[in-house]
Formats: sequence, C-alpha cells, structure tokens
Amino acid sequence: MTRPCSENTPMHRVYVWELPIRLTHWLIFVATIVLAATGYYIGHPFISVSGPARDHFVMGYARSIHMYAAIVFAMAVFVRLYWLFAGNQYARLTELVPLSGRRFRSLFHAILFYAFLRREPDEYPGHNAMAGSSYAMIFSVYVVMIATGLALYAVGTAPGSPFHIFNNEAPWLYGLQMARLIHHIGMWIIFIFVVLHLHFILLSSLIDRTGALDSMFSGYKFMPNKEGTARD
Amino acid sequence: MNAPGLAQRLERSGLSRRDFLSFCASMAAVLGLPDTAGQAIAAAVENEAKPILIWLEFQDCAGNSESLLRAGHPTVADLILDEISLSYHEMLMAAAGSQAEQVLSETVRDNAGKYIVLVEGSIPAGADGAYCTIGGKSALQIARDICGKAAATIAVGTCAAFGGIPAARPNPTGAMSVGDAVPGVANLINMSACPANAENITALIIYYMTMKRWPPLDQYRRPLFAYGKSIHDSCERRAHFDAGQYVEEWGDDAHRHGHCLYKMGCKGPATSQNCPIVKWNEGTNWPIGCGHPCIGCAEPNFWDTMTPFYQRLPNVAGFDVGNWVDPVGLGLTGLVTAAVAMHGIGEVVRHRAGEKSSDNSGSENE
Repeated sequence: MTRPCSENTPMHRVYVWELPIRLTHWLIFVATIVLAATGYYIGHPFISVSGPARDHFVMGYARSIHMYAAIVFAMAVFVRLYWLFAGNQYARLTELVPLSGRRFRSLFHAILFYAFLRREPDEYPGHNAMAGSSYAMIFSVYVVMIATGLALYAVGTAPGSPFHIFNNEAPWLYGLQMARLIHHIGMWIIFIFVVLHLHFILLSSLIDRTGALDSMFSGYKFMPNKEGTARD
Repeated sequence: MNAPGLAQRLERSGLSRRDFLSFCASMAAVLGLPDTAGQAIAAAVENEAKPILIWLEFQDCAGNSESLLRAGHPTVADLILDEISLSYHEMLMAAAGSQAEQVLSETVRDNAGKYIVLVEGSIPAGADGAYCTIGGKSALQIARDICGKAAATIAVGTCAAFGGIPAARPNPTGAMSVGDAVPGVANLINMSACPANAENITALIIYYMTMKRWPPLDQYRRPLFAYGKSIHDSCERRAHFDAGQYVEEWGDDAHRHGHCLYKMGCKGPATSQNCPIVKWNEGTNWPIGCGHPCIGCAEPNFWDTMTPFYQRLPNVAGFDVGNWVDPVGLGLTGLVTAAVAMHGIGEVVRHRAGEKSSDNSGSENE
C-alpha cells in the first residue's frame, strides 16, 4: 500500500474550505436534522394529545420550527450555490460536475479505489469527483425540496404576501399532493446521502487520516509536501 | 321588467324585501365585501340590465345543475337567476330538439360578444369529438363556436374547469377542460369543485352585475373570493390539527370528539375553497363538519392526485407509491447503512493489510 502519511512525513497546510463553505455546511447540517425530525412528525403525527385543544400546540410548534429551519436551510443553500461561482477552486461548479477529462479520471479513480480495485486514493486536497458528483446531486435535491416546500407553504399565504407567488408552482408540479409526495421522497434521498457522506468522511478521517472532518471546521487540510492523499 | 318585476316575483314566491336585502348582504359576505356593499348589490340587481346566460352541458353527471337547483323551496338566488335571462339550459328549458337549438343559435347570433356561457362537464376530444354530440355537432365544435363569441366563459364544476373525473387516468375519451378545448377563450373563469357551490356561482354573477368586471383570479383562474384560502386554513377543526389531536380510525374517541381528520387522508391542506365558510345546502353543513375528510374535489387532477382519499400521499401511475414511500425510504436507508458498514469493514481490512505489508517492506529494507 502506498499511503505515504506517517508521523514523520513533511506536511504543508492547504486552505481548502473558505468560510462560506464551512458556515453553510454546518447550517445545512443542523437545519437538515431539525427539518427531518419536524418534517417526519408533520407527515406522520405520531404524538396525539388529549384534553382541550387550547392546552396543546404540538403540530403548531413542529410546523413553526420546520418553517424557521427551512428559512435557514434555504438561505444556506442559496449562499452555497452562489459560492459555486464565487468561491475558490475547490468550491466551484467544475468540482461538482465532472466534465473535464481530469475530473472524469478522478471519478473513475475514486470508484475503483472504493471498490478495492485500486491501491492509491486520489491525490487532491478538494473533493474527489465521486464526492463532487454526489454533492451536485444532493444540491439539486435541496433545490427541489425548497421548491416543493415553498409550493406547500404558499397555499397558506394571503394574496399580497411575497410568498403567494409560489402558488404558481402547483400547476407545474401536477398539484400540491404531488409536491407533498416529492417532498417525502426528497427527505429519504437526503437521508441516504447523509449515511454515505458520513461513511466516506469517517473512512477518510479515521482510516486514511486526511483530516477531512477537521478541515470542515478549520478550512485547512494537511498535504504531504510532494505527494498528497486526499479522499473526501 | 326591472324593479317592479323583481318585487312582484318576490312577493308571488312569498319572499319579502327583507329576504332580498339579506340575500344581497350574504352575497357581499361571500365576496368578502363589507356590509355596505349589500346596498350596491341590491341596486345593481334591481336596476342593471341582466346579463344573458347560456348553460352548456357536456360530458358530466349534471351534478352542477342539481347543485344550482338544490333548494327545496324557491330562494332569492333562484329568482335572481330566473330574472337573468337564462336563454338555454337543456335540463331546465321547456323547448327540445331543433326548437331548442334554434333558440341557442338565435341567442348567440343576436348577442354575440355580450352573453355569458356557463359550461358544465368536460369536453371529449377523442375520436373527433364523437363521444359527446348534441344536435349532430360535437361538444368541441359547440364549445369553440359558442364560447368563442361569449363575453365570458364560466367553467362550472371540476369537469369543465379541469377535466375532472372524465379526464382522470386513463382518460378514454380524451376529455379536457374548457380552457384547454377553447384556447384563448375570453374571460375564462373556473368555478371548480364537484359540484361547484351554487353560492359561489351566484356570487360571481352578482359581482359581475355590481362591479361590471370579473373578480381577481388565482393560478388556476378561480376567483380569489371563493378559492383564495385553503380549506385547511379556514377549517373549524384546525385547532385540533395544531394541537396534535387526530382521528386514527373511524368512530374512535377522537372522531367522536370532532378532532382533525388529517391522518384519515384529509386533503384540506392541498385544496383551496371556501367550503368551511359558505358550506353546502343553504349553509347546513359540509363534509369535514360531518366527520368526513375533504377529498380535494376543487383541485386539478383531483381524481389522480387526491386518491386514495383516506391516505395522506397520492399513488402515481398505478403504483402504490404514496403508501410505501416512507417504509421504502426507511428500508433503503437501512440497506445503504448496512452496505457502507460492510464497506467500512473492507476498508479496515485493507488498511490493516497495508500496515502489515509496509511493516514487512520496512523490515526488509533494514
């Protein structure tokens, strides 16, 4: 195995994740947990209370929290999408959608590596192309979730509210029930993504010792001076 | 024929002027206008020239006509609609056959660009329109001809507004809404629901007589006064929804206490209409009021996307997706978790093997 990092390998710091990337990452992280928990309750109200209705506000709180978390989520996703065009080389759209020959090779490299068919991981401080593609996919799901969420929210707004305009989504979505179904499917896609994302991050951090997890706090990755190993 | 005519008709039917004024006030309420608008409405109904109405009926169950005529005794609304010249209505008019068709063609000829058409039922476009013909002409031909020359077209009921049940999958007759069948029709207004609420139809015509224009519309060309709010947001059981009190099965304790029908598949959150306010059968009651979930009949594609009625999520293309999306999602998440756990074990093994081999190579070098 050629995994050249040992305690004596000379390293240097690379500034990979800029502040907006880290900030939006953790905002999306927290918002997703809150949205999934409250959203699951909204879809399947498993808590039923008794007594006079005025004594309780379970669904009311769930929906309020869901909507405030949705604002945080939507803003964070918006900033992250803007950073696809304004960010550094590691944040850009080209890192997410493998269109260049280099990124294509990176994609197959990563797939073969994780399939135990190649020995060396991709040597690159940013995302490997497999990780990048998964982010492109999940950002698209985020956009769909925001769009369907706004369509479901808009029906409760009064004419004149700035959100009333999102009622125009309903005809495109084949009605609000379809928006609701897509919203459910989207949550499960995000869940499956979270499992995969956690898995590869923990592999990268605990087994390959790339400091991938720490880098999402500090922004820095440590690369060996000549050859580096980076897996996302 | 104006004020005295109406007054005499009211008197003959045993209705007082007070009844008439309270009707006008109730119309103002349906339209969301202040009390004082009742006077303007009364003046308009008494004094303004009455619009000429033509009622066309195509592929439907006549439920909207029934809804309009629902009253067990004559109401002010009936008289107003009588007063308005309802020139052609197959179900109501005495004339039949070529005589009736002659009335229709004369009305259209003499009042081109001035009359209002109310269309009930969807328009089948399949087989060149052969699924619905009247007097040798297809529904499609009739609709294009008569709606094309109208001042306004009111699509009454979900069939006319959105295709409704005839247009539900697999739509064997190629049924479509009036808006789709007559592209670019002037002043199209969709009064959806199955059937459309007679109060709203009356209020719409009263609005036009009073204001001389059509009311503001939503994204489906439905008037905001009747479709501007979701059923969920004006539901009398909303407090139970927000509290977290749900009917779990028919006849359980929560059902008997009138709790929220959300878990029984109520489509109130996806449906916009003023049912909770105006109600049905002269304000007697409405579906949720008597313990049945809303089935979303006022929305486009309702038969395809609001079914199964007693389930939260719709089925898609014949697959039981709605019922299974959450269990399948949970199962897939579990499978992926198991798969990555296996992969993790593989990675640990590879890592250990790598350490061993580099240890070996290290010792060889020494």
